[in-house]
Amino acid sequence: MELLEYIQYVLAPQVLNGLTVGVALILVALGLTIIFGLLDVLNMSHGEFYAVGAFLTIGLGAMGVNFWALIVLAPILMIPLAIAVERFLIRKVYDGADRHVTTLLVTFGLALVMEDVLKLIFGANPHRPENPLPGASEVLGIVFPHYRFLLIIVGAFIILVISYIVYRTKLGSMVRAAAYDRNMAASLGVPVGLIYSGTFAFGVGLAALAGVLLAPIYSVFPTMGRDFIFMAFSVVIIGGMGSILGAVVAGLLLAQISSLSSLFIEPVWTDPIVFGVMVIFLMFRPQGLFGRIGHA
Amino acid sequence: MHDRITQTFRGSHVLTAVLVAAALAFMLVGIANNDTFYLRLGTEALIFAGLALSVDLLLGYTGLLSLGQAMYFGIGAYVSAVVLIHTQSFWLAMSASLGASLLAAIVGGIIANQVRGVYFALITFALAQVVAKVIYNTQSLGSSDGLIGIPVVDVNLGVAAISTSSPAGFFLAVLTIIIGLYGLTAWLLNTPFGRVLIALKANERRVPFLGYSVWRARLAAYVLAGAIAGISGALYPMLRGFVSPELLFFSTSGNALIAVILGGVGTLAGALYGSIILIVLKSVISTYTTHHLIVIGSLFIALVLFVPQGLTGYVRPYIVAWLERRSTRRSNDQKPSMPTAVVLKRDSS
Repeated sequence: MELLEYIQYVLAPQVLNGLTVGVALILVALGLTIIFGLLDVLNMSHGEFYAVGAFLTIGLGAMGVNFWALIVLAPILMIPLAIAVERFLIRKVYDGADRHVTTLLVTFGLALVMEDVLKLIFGANPHRPENPLPGASEVLGIVFPHYRFLLIIVGAFIILVISYIVYRTKLGSMVRAAAYDRNMAASLGVPVGLIYSGTFAFGVGLAALAGVLLAPIYSVFPTMGRDFIFMAFSVVIIGGMGSILGAVVAGLLLAQISSLSSLFIEPVWTDPIVFGVMVIFLMFRPQGLFGRIGHA
Repeated sequence: MHDRITQTFRGSHVLTAVLVAAALAFMLVGIANNDTFYLRLGTEALIFAGLALSVDLLLGYTGLLSLGQAMYFGIGAYVSAVVLIHTQSFWLAMSASLGASLLAAIVGGIIANQVRGVYFALITFALAQVVAKVIYNTQSLGSSDGLIGIPVVDVNLGVAAISTSSPAGFFLAVLTIIIGLYGLTAWLLNTPFGRVLIALKANERRVPFLGYSVWRARLAAYVLAGAIAGISGALYPMLRGFVSPELLFFSTSGNALIAVILGGVGTLAGALYGSIILIVLKSVISTYTTHHLIVIGSLFIALVLFVPQGLTGYVRPYIVAWLERRSTRRSNDQKPSMPTAVVLKRDSS
């Protein structure tokens, strides 16, 4: 009986919480991993795009825009910004001698600017948007907050759609072709430049979407991206840079580990454990659990 | 006739000499005005210049981007703080910090050396995060508050002693140590060992064919950089009287990186200039607005895009050319020298 109660009141909520975080983490990590897999760019400003998504919920929500409309609107609003960043910043240094380092530096600078712009507009204090779907249901004695449940469903749906696009459509095969061999793809008529901008915008849009979805659960503040992106980096490393399946598996795994481990050890220690796992993976299996997009 | 690398080092030495002269003038003005604030700020800039120097040694000469150099800075600072609290000995604190950061850098270097390129950046970043979080969670190290109340000590020089609480005295001590680190690094890079490091950046695959171990050279560079960061970090608690986990966070590593890009990658002198410019920029902008990151971030992006060689990297070729002309004039009748135009063109690492 005690065991049942333990599962019902302690374990199940933690698993559910881990799932919620995991889905959001996967969305952010997917954007990161797709951008790395295709463009070979480590986007250090990814966390800030996630924060911008969350702040769009605050800003546009205050103007009376419906939350559900924002789920569609936020990623679309990011497209021009993302394309501008890709065209005018990343592409400028893309063909330089040390692409990894320079693109990392440029996006790092961008992250600094974006974080401070958010601070300038919204102030440094945390915001908390209203929960668009309050209430909870009880199934088998386990409490399911409606919004979290919905987040998991929506997130899982989006992840499936992305996998379908990348692996089963013509657009996806063009993206994979461009990732595998840029010049060959271009000579076969793939509009590589467009694909690059589009992919970057797509990855950034995913980050913004995750920001919108998580805003009602977590507080929204300018440096929120920084904390979250570290986790997303670990997911990308452990799953394998550029691997979609890897991001999903590693995202669920890491979120559950950090969620469940807080039952047994002090929650402050989950961070070092997650990063420690990341270090071990980098040392012994830098390609991660699964291979790279377009290379497997 | 010297070869090109020696020439560029001489260019850096001229720039550093200018910096030292400016620093001494600054100190004299500070003493004359009985200033504390600016001298302390200047000392802090020099301490972080040491951290930037270690980043430049890795990025500018060996081609390794470390995103976690603050780890060794922080380890140096914490060890120094603990030793100072217990013994009040400057030299003991410095040697303990050096030992600890050397040890940490050997372990960290063996771990980080498993991987290359972007993975190296990430593994150094993750390592620093692990250590930072462990310190953050350790009660005996003051957890998130850090250690406060580090006593004022004397830098015992045998014939004289400088108190760390004396603004000008400690400024001079820090300046000596940081310039010493600069000199040591520049000297090492100009030895055959240094040439191997530079070769690593140019083409890592060819180095083994010349009979050198890539692994050993990379590890040596990493350990050296860790020790430089550790020594610089050891000075921090003497200046500020406290240490906090923020010293190990990514923002500290990021600032050092900004300083190096600002000053010029692969010049060593640029790391010193960059840190000082960064601190000056921050305090000037802060008088107008709290949002200095917008300005610094934009400046940083613009530099990476348009002036990737940084400030000293931009100036140095002219100094090298000037040194060249001068030495040619001296040995005028002996042999024809390399044309300066070639030197100018090739000096853009």
